[in-house]
Amino acid sequence: MTSEAKSLFTTLEREALICGRCGYCRNSCPVYRVLGWESATPRGKISLAKEIFSKGNSKALTDEFVQRVAQCTLCGACAEACSTCIDTRTLWLELRRRIAGLGRTPKAYHALRENLLAHKNISTFSNDDRLEWAQDLEDEPEGLELKAGAEVCYFVGCVSSFFPQAAQIPLAVTQLLMEAGVDFTTMGGEEWCCGFPLLSTGFADDAREFTRHNVSKIKELDIHTLVASCASCYHVWKHECLSELAGYDLEILHTTEYLARLVKEGRFALNELEEVVTYHDPCDLGRNSGVYDAPREILRSIPGIEFVELEHNREDSLCCGGGGNLQSVDAELAAEITGLRVEEIKETGAGIVVSSCQQCEQMLSTAVRKAGLPVRVMDISELLLEAIG
Amino acid sequence: MKKSEALRQIKKLCGERATEARFECALYSRDLAPVPALLVDPLFKTVPDLVVCPTGAEEVAEILRLAGAAGIPVTPRAGASTVYFDSVPARGGIVIDLNLIKGVLELDEEMMTVTVKAGTTWSELERYLNARGYAPKSVPSSAPASSIAGWLCMMGYGIGSLKYGSLLSQVKWAEVVLPDGEIRQVTPDTDPPLAWFAASEGTLGIITKLNIEIRRQTPMKHFLLHSRALSEIAGVLTAVKDAEITPYNLHFTDEACVRAMSRQGIAPGSVDSGCLLAVDYEGSEAELHRAEEMITALVTGKKAVSLLPGEVAEREWEERYKSLKLKRSGPSELGGEVFLPVSRLENYLSDIKRLAGRYGLEMCSYGHVATPERMIIMTMFFADETRVFEYIMDLSLVKKIQDVGQRHGGYPYGVGLWNTPYLGRIFKVSELEQLRARKKKLDPKGIMNPGKLYKWHPMLNPFNFSLGMNVLAGIRRFVRGGGRG
Ligand SMILES: Cc1cc2nc3c(=O)[nH]c(=O)nc-3n(C[C@H](O)[C@H](O)[C@H](O)COP(=O)(O)OP(=O)(O)OC[C@H]3O[C@@H](n4cnc5c(N)ncnc54)[C@H](O)[C@@H]3O)c2cc1C
Ligand code: SF4
Ligand code: SF4
Repeated sequence: MTSEAKSLFTTLEREALICGRCGYCRNSCPVYRVLGWESATPRGKISLAKEIFSKGNSKALTDEFVQRVAQCTLCGACAEACSTCIDTRTLWLELRRRIAGLGRTPKAYHALRENLLAHKNISTFSNDDRLEWAQDLEDEPEGLELKAGAEVCYFVGCVSSFFPQAAQIPLAVTQLLMEAGVDFTTMGGEEWCCGFPLLSTGFADDAREFTRHNVSKIKELDIHTLVASCASCYHVWKHECLSELAGYDLEILHTTEYLARLVKEGRFALNELEEVVTYHDPCDLGRNSGVYDAPREILRSIPGIEFVELEHNREDSLCCGGGGNLQSVDAELAAEITGLRVEEIKETGAGIVVSSCQQCEQMLSTAVRKAGLPVRVMDISELLLEAIG
Repeated sequence: MKKSEALRQIKKLCGERATEARFECALYSRDLAPVPALLVDPLFKTVPDLVVCPTGAEEVAEILRLAGAAGIPVTPRAGASTVYFDSVPARGGIVIDLNLIKGVLELDEEMMTVTVKAGTTWSELERYLNARGYAPKSVPSSAPASSIAGWLCMMGYGIGSLKYGSLLSQVKWAEVVLPDGEIRQVTPDTDPPLAWFAASEGTLGIITKLNIEIRRQTPMKHFLLHSRALSEIAGVLTAVKDAEITPYNLHFTDEACVRAMSRQGIAPGSVDSGCLLAVDYEGSEAELHRAEEMITALVTGKKAVSLLPGEVAEREWEERYKSLKLKRSGPSELGGEVFLPVSRLENYLSDIKRLAGRYGLEMCSYGHVATPERMIIMTMFFADETRVFEYIMDLSLVKKIQDVGQRHGGYPYGVGLWNTPYLGRIFKVSELEQLRARKKKLDPKGIMNPGKLYKWHPMLNPFNFSLGMNVLAGIRRFVRGGGRG
């Protein structure tokens, strides 16, 4: 089951029964690769879900099981591998929702939810400070905040908005849009979290409140093209807002798609960059949304760049460890997963690893630094900006 | 040595790679077959006392020495992609999870061999070799899950076997830890010889490393033939199999299976009836060209057989490991895998059709030709394991499938625990005696995977088993009704 293929998901009860326990998903799971136990395999977790939900054996709902369900990056590699086309990513989300419904959610998830409900973003800052990063722009573009009828609305995302380490991304995207002469705006303090952290921790109803808010603001602003630089925000807009967006014409693009379009239209003068560059596919953009070519087109369009693929790439890509809120429940495991990816980065001999998700960039930067690798980790927008520099 | 002391020492040896946690151990008590606890628990202790994940032969050897000293049963487990409880304990004890013993050790391009650790999966090896212009000679159709050694310890036939022979014929040597903890390199000429370990189902020792022949990765050409007439397609199958150029893969799908796929929307080329034959060649361009000419000539001569478009055939090849996708129509699936003489395919299927009609259900069959004489044919039907009573009754039909197979010279493909009642069908008396003598010689204490391969559990003796299954099948027919026949 890939993102492009239609999800065949029926119910948790039925999908758990359909699972044939063949184990095709085992080796593709980064969590299993680190932990090595059957209970960490997708098939192990599904067979317990079958006991609990398909067969009604509530005794199998143990703390260990809840922990294993939380130890998942939602990377979708198991869905890609599944021999019976189970949309396992949806299955994990549903499982977390059911566990939350039974009052067994991990503590860390509750804290995250309360914070989100209070602040409408994943930081502890006021949502009014969403555009603080823009103070570092030399010239703040006109209409950066809530400009009705703008050609494009840039959905910045919580991490890029509030975490100084990620601020380079919105800065680069904004400068690129300005350079290309795009009429764009942002939702400023009206941008709420996309809802992914709530959805992925089992609080789907709360998440719905967030998506509803964001969609209504977009409609109010009469926006018809939305560009997101966060792979997970993009995934939510693209796949989780369908009912809210029904009947409204909104083109949803990831920055890689939009920037690739601008590059193709010749809106940037690109200088030569003599660099060996590799690309890490973010799970929510690649495997879970099917966007593989746009980032590669951008990289290939920059003169002088020698592009090398990582051993696992595109559908087969390895997760960076940062997905699924894993860090909030098991930061060590998340870091070990990143370590697997860093090994592959090392093998390529690349001097720059590019991604297109701020979470991947964070995870990889920390791990690369820890491993002492002479590799720069960049978002694709940052590299493109460097090329027009 | 006391059991508790041996377990303590093994835990110490493996540290964090050992667990007694019930939560974990319970997950090692099943393979693909969801046999209800109601049937399993009174007879077997499938939950191990300890699961360990050794990292190499030395550690395995120490575990076996300690287990042997205390008489603790040991069950090797790798991909656990088998269905007869082959890698599930029958008497508790220790499960040795071999999945950490993985990786490619050496590619010898001159000798055209690769040395690989036992727990590496076939897909991992395939990926490694393909990146270097090589490929395994054959792979099981469960390549993403199956380990290299796991396949050798089973029957070792699959995709590519028709052209390149069984896995056993491709293995140059294997490193084996014998039940007494001795580490040996076995070849076709050593004592014990390599052949003893093929299809040994983890009962004679643990394989930790293998050296196997490889081939150059060559271009491929895929054909997918469709016909509404079984006899026509069976004729083509035989002609193709015996032709001058041997196909790399020859896979048959029967009409019931095509219908089930069609209902699910996954039938290749959107066909909704008839049967399919996938013929895949690999080799030089000249060979492929000749193969194409041969296939075209065969089809041209037969009105009832047509060739589906090339891209459909290619997609079918890409989906070669995904035979389980039909399970979506289940949600459960039950079936029997029969090692059947190719010449009997048509008659076998006609009897299966009659059997299915008698019990009022649809039985789907598919499989590959494994040798010039035999094919591995899977005949399955849909079931629902949540309806335990009905499901148990359905289990009786698996025996009926094997009975049809036997009538046509077939026997179960693999033994494990659940096929022990058929030992008399699978082996001649002399063969079975020979197997038992090997077991006695290498594993006199009987610690390696007890309960499998050599003899049946008293409750599963062929007479009881046969009687029980036939009665159940009778009740099923009476309670749930049947069709004609
Ligand atoms: C969709 C599907 C398709 C399949 N296609 C095929 C096919 O084409 N051909 C075929 O033969 N089978 C096939 N099988 C059955 C099974 O996948 C294979 O037999 C596979 O090779 C078993 O490997 P494994 O690693 O899963 O072994 P396991 O199931 O873990 O073990 C199998 C047996 O070998 C023993 N064992 C495992 N590793 C070792 C070791 N290192 N040393 C000693 N003993 C060991 C175990 O104790 C057990 O008895 C298929 C199964 C599925 C689900
Ligand atoms: S989504 Fe990724 S981490 Fe989660 S079970 Fe599947 S493969 Fe493992
Ligand atoms: S690959 Fe799919 S069917 Fe097989 S064990 Fe994993 S989830 Fe189940």
